[in-house]
Amino acid sequence: MSRGVTRRRVLAGAAAAAATAALAPQLGCAPPARRRRAATPTEVRRVASACELCPNKCAVLAVVENGRVKKLDPNPLSPKSRGMLCARGNAAIKALYDPDRVKQPLIRAGARGEGKWRPVSWDEALDFTAERLHRIKEAHGPEAVLFSSTEGFQEEFFKNLGLAFGSPNILRHPTLCLASVNLAYSMTFGTVPSFDLLNARYVIMSGANRFESIITPDTMDLIEGAMNRKAKLVYLDPRFTVTAAKADEWYPIRPGTDLAFILALIHVIIEEQRYDKEFVATRCLGFDELAAHVQRYTPAWAAAETDIPAAAIVRIAREFADAAPRAVYYAGRRSSWYVNDFQMRRGQAILNAIVGNWDREGGVVPNSRIALGELLFLPWDDPTAERVDEIGTRFPLAAKGDGAFLQARENVLAGVPYPVKGWLVYKQDPMNALPDRGRTQRMIEAMDLVAVIDTQMSDTAHFADVVLPESMYLERTDPLHMLPGIWPVVVLRQQVVPPIYDTKPNLEIIQGLAKRLGLSEYFDYTIEEWIAEQAAELPVENPLEYLKQHGVYAPEGAPFYGKTLAPGYRFLTRSGKIELYSPRLAEVGHDPLPVYRPPTPIPAGSFRMVLGRKATHTHAATTNNVWLIEQTPTNHLWLHPEPAARLGIGDGDLVEVVSAVGAVRLPARVTPEIRPDCVFMLHGFGKKSPQLRLAHGNGACDADVLVTAWDAVSGNAAFHETVVTVRKVGKEDRRA
Amino acid sequence: MRERLGIKGKPRWALAIDARKCINCKACIVACKAENGVPLGKFRNRINEEHGGSYPHLRASFEPEQCHHCASPSCVRVCPTGASYQRDDGLVLVHANDCIGCGYCIIACPYDARYFNPETRVVDKCTMCVHRVDAGREPACAETCPSRVRLFGDLHDGEGSLRHTLDSRRSQVKKEQTGNHPQLYYLL
Repeated sequence: MSRGVTRRRVLAGAAAAAATAALAPQLGCAPPARRRRAATPTEVRRVASACELCPNKCAVLAVVENGRVKKLDPNPLSPKSRGMLCARGNAAIKALYDPDRVKQPLIRAGARGEGKWRPVSWDEALDFTAERLHRIKEAHGPEAVLFSSTEGFQEEFFKNLGLAFGSPNILRHPTLCLASVNLAYSMTFGTVPSFDLLNARYVIMSGANRFESIITPDTMDLIEGAMNRKAKLVYLDPRFTVTAAKADEWYPIRPGTDLAFILALIHVIIEEQRYDKEFVATRCLGFDELAAHVQRYTPAWAAAETDIPAAAIVRIAREFADAAPRAVYYAGRRSSWYVNDFQMRRGQAILNAIVGNWDREGGVVPNSRIALGELLFLPWDDPTAERVDEIGTRFPLAAKGDGAFLQARENVLAGVPYPVKGWLVYKQDPMNALPDRGRTQRMIEAMDLVAVIDTQMSDTAHFADVVLPESMYLERTDPLHMLPGIWPVVVLRQQVVPPIYDTKPNLEIIQGLAKRLGLSEYFDYTIEEWIAEQAAELPVENPLEYLKQHGVYAPEGAPFYGKTLAPGYRFLTRSGKIELYSPRLAEVGHDPLPVYRPPTPIPAGSFRMVLGRKATHTHAATTNNVWLIEQTPTNHLWLHPEPAARLGIGDGDLVEVVSAVGAVRLPARVTPEIRPDCVFMLHGFGKKSPQLRLAHGNGACDADVLVTAWDAVSGNAAFHETVVTVRKVGKEDRRA
Repeated sequence: MRERLGIKGKPRWALAIDARKCINCKACIVACKAENGVPLGKFRNRINEEHGGSYPHLRASFEPEQCHHCASPSCVRVCPTGASYQRDDGLVLVHANDCIGCGYCIIACPYDARYFNPETRVVDKCTMCVHRVDAGREPACAETCPSRVRLFGDLHDGEGSLRHTLDSRRSQVKKEQTGNHPQLYYLL
C-alpha cells in the first residue's frame, strides 16, 4: 500500500543528496507527469437514495458520472440523518465496485465450506432451491424450513415468502440486538420511545457508545448537546471509548452491574422526594411497591457492586432529578449483554418515568409516525405448526413474529419439537451474528438445504448450498420506509445505476422462488406498484415524483411533544398507565419490579469479554470494504497493562484467547483504556470465506469464542457472559 | 497581513475546526478519497489522535488536519517549476502538468499535508475541493461530517459565519513560528 514516496523516504533522499553535494533532486528524474486527461464532458446525474451500509437509512445524493457512481453526498433534507454521511456511507462506492462481490448465482460444487462453486443461471439456481424446498415440505412439512433475515427494506418480501410457504419459523434480528430494550419499554410505557438528545440537559448512558456506534439522529444531537449546549453526559462503560472521552464523567463500571447503579439512583430520588409527584400520582402504576422495593438498594451497597463511589451516585441522582424533565437515561441499541438484560432496561425505563421526563422536550418521547399506504395482496392461511423456538411458552411476552434466535438454534440442533431441514437466509450472516460459531456450523450441517440471498460471499454463504446474489443498494429500488422518531421521515431508496453483474433485487428473487413453489398469486405485483400505493397518501403533490426528486419526505415544523399527556390518555399497557410495577410480569413468573442479580463472578486470572462497535464498520458486513479496511485494518485484543505485565504480553504480541467453546488468535493491544478484568475485540473480523479477500483470515472472529446465553424474559442473546483466558503465543506482529 | 490574505473585496477561503466535536469517525477521510479520487494508501486529510492520562483518569482527543492553505506557503516558495501555486482566494494548488515530482514541497510543508501520487506521478494535496468551492459548495470533508467539526467560509466576508465564529471565539493556528501564516483555525 505504501509504494509511493513517503515523507521519510524523501527526507532520507534529501540527506543523501546533501552529503554528496549532488543537488539533483532524488525524484527529479521522474518522467513528466502523465496527466490523466478528463474524458470529454461527462454526463453527470444526481440521484437521491437511501444508504444501506448500516440500519440508519441516511439520505444520500449519488453523483453519477458517465454511468459510474463517483461520490455519495449527504442529502440535507433528512431530519434523521441531519445532512451527514459517515465513513461507511461514503465507502458504499467500494462495496458497489468490490471485485469480490457475488457476480452470479452459485451452486455448491464441492463439500460444504470447501469453497468450490458452479456458476449457474438464475433459472437453474431458483429451480434447484425450489425443488429442495418442495422436497423438505413434502417430507417434513413447511415448518421444517427456517427463514432468517436481518432488517432491510426488502425484508418484508422474504418474510412473506416464509409465511406463504406455510412456515411459522420466521427469525428476525431483534433477539441478537435490541429485543430486551424494546420489550422493557413496551412493558413499562406500552411503546418503544426515542430520546430527545437534541434538547436534553442531562444524559446518562450505560455502554451505549453513541460516538462510535452511530445512530441517527442521536449521535449528532448528542455531540451538539454535549459540546455546544453544555448538556452533561455521564457515561458508564468498562472500556474508555470515544464516548467516554467526550463525556463529562466516565465510570469504568464493573460489567453487569448497571442495574445496581440504576436502582440506587431510584433509591436516592425517592428517598429525597425528588421524583415528579404529580406525574407519578396521575400516570404511573405501583409507585408504593417501587419505593418499598428500592429501599435496600442504597448508594453504599451499589458502590460496592459497581465500583462507582457512593457519593457520585448520590450526586448524579440529584443532578439527574434536578435536570428533569430535560434528563434521560438513554436506552441504547444493541442491548444484548447479560441474562438479566430485560430487567436492567426496565430499571432505566422506571427511572425515566419517576422523574417525569416522558413526552416532554429533552426527555423520553414516544415516536411520531407518518402514515403510508399499503398494497393489498392476496392473504395466505396462517401457518399451523407451532414455532420451533417455542417462543409462546418460553418467552410469552416476547415479540412472536421476530422469534428467539438462539433458542431456535438450540432446538434445531436438538431436533425438538420437530426436525428442521431447510434454512433460507436473507441479508444476514448467522455465522458471525450468533455466538459460538461451532454450533451455528453444526446447525448448517444438519440441513438438507441452506440458501443465502446476499450481496457478498458472507461466512454463512460460504457454507451454503446455493447463493442467490442480491443487487447492491445503489442498483435497486426498495419499498418506501417510514422511520418513526421525534422527527419522523419517509425515505425512498431508488436505483442509481443498473446492476453491474447478474444480480437481482430481493423481490425478484422471492418471486422467482414463489413461482416455482406455486405461490405466485401472493406476489403478483411490481416494486413500482408497491411504492405507488405506499406513497399515495403523502400530503404533497405528486408524492412519488416528490420522493424521487428529494429522496425523503418529512413534515415541516417543530416536533410535537405531549400527545400522550392529554388527560385521560390510556397507555398501551394492561392498566392503561405507565407500569412501574408490572402485574403482567408477575403473572408469567418474572420479577414485577427489577431485582438486582449480580453477574457471574470472573475467576482470578480470567477476563470477561465485552463487545462494542467502531464507526468505521457495520457488524460483520463491511470488513471487505477497502476504504474502511484502510481505516480499521484488523482487530486486536484490548488488554489492560496490569494483567498484560502479569502474563508477559507486550503490545502487538500474538495472543490466544480461550473460552469454554473455542479459541482464537490475534495481536494484543495493551492499553489502559479497558478495565483490568475485561478484554475486548472488534466484531466482524476473522472471516472464513476466502472470497472476501480483505477479511478472510484477517484478525479474529468473536463468534468463535462467545458462549451461548440469553436474557430470561426477552430471549435476547446475552453477549457479555463469556469468560476467557489469554496467553501469549508469539511475538508475531500481524500488522507488519 | 491583509495583503497576504488575498485581495480585499474578494473571497479568502479558510476552514475553522472545532476539534472538541470530532468523534474520530473518519467520514471526512473517506469522503475526501471519493471526491478527489485519492489512491489507496494515500490521504489528503487525517485525524491526529492523542491518548493520555492513567487509568481511570484517561483522556483522548481527536484533531482533523489537512493543508492549512497558508498565507505564505513554503511549499510554493520551494517549488522549482512553479507547479505549486496559490490562487488569489488563498487556495494552494498544484499544476499537475508542471510538477516534476521532485518532492521539495513535501519536505517544505510543516504540516505533512502533501504526498506523492503514484498513479499520476505528481505531488498531490488537499485542494479544499476547489471544484466544489468554485461551484459555490463547501468541501466534501466539511459537508459529510456528522458532528459539524469543520466550518468552511470566506475570511473577508464580515457577515459570514466563519468570520463571525473567529471573531467571537478564541482560536489558534499550528506552528505559527514557521512564518507560513497557516489559515487552518483550531477553535479553543
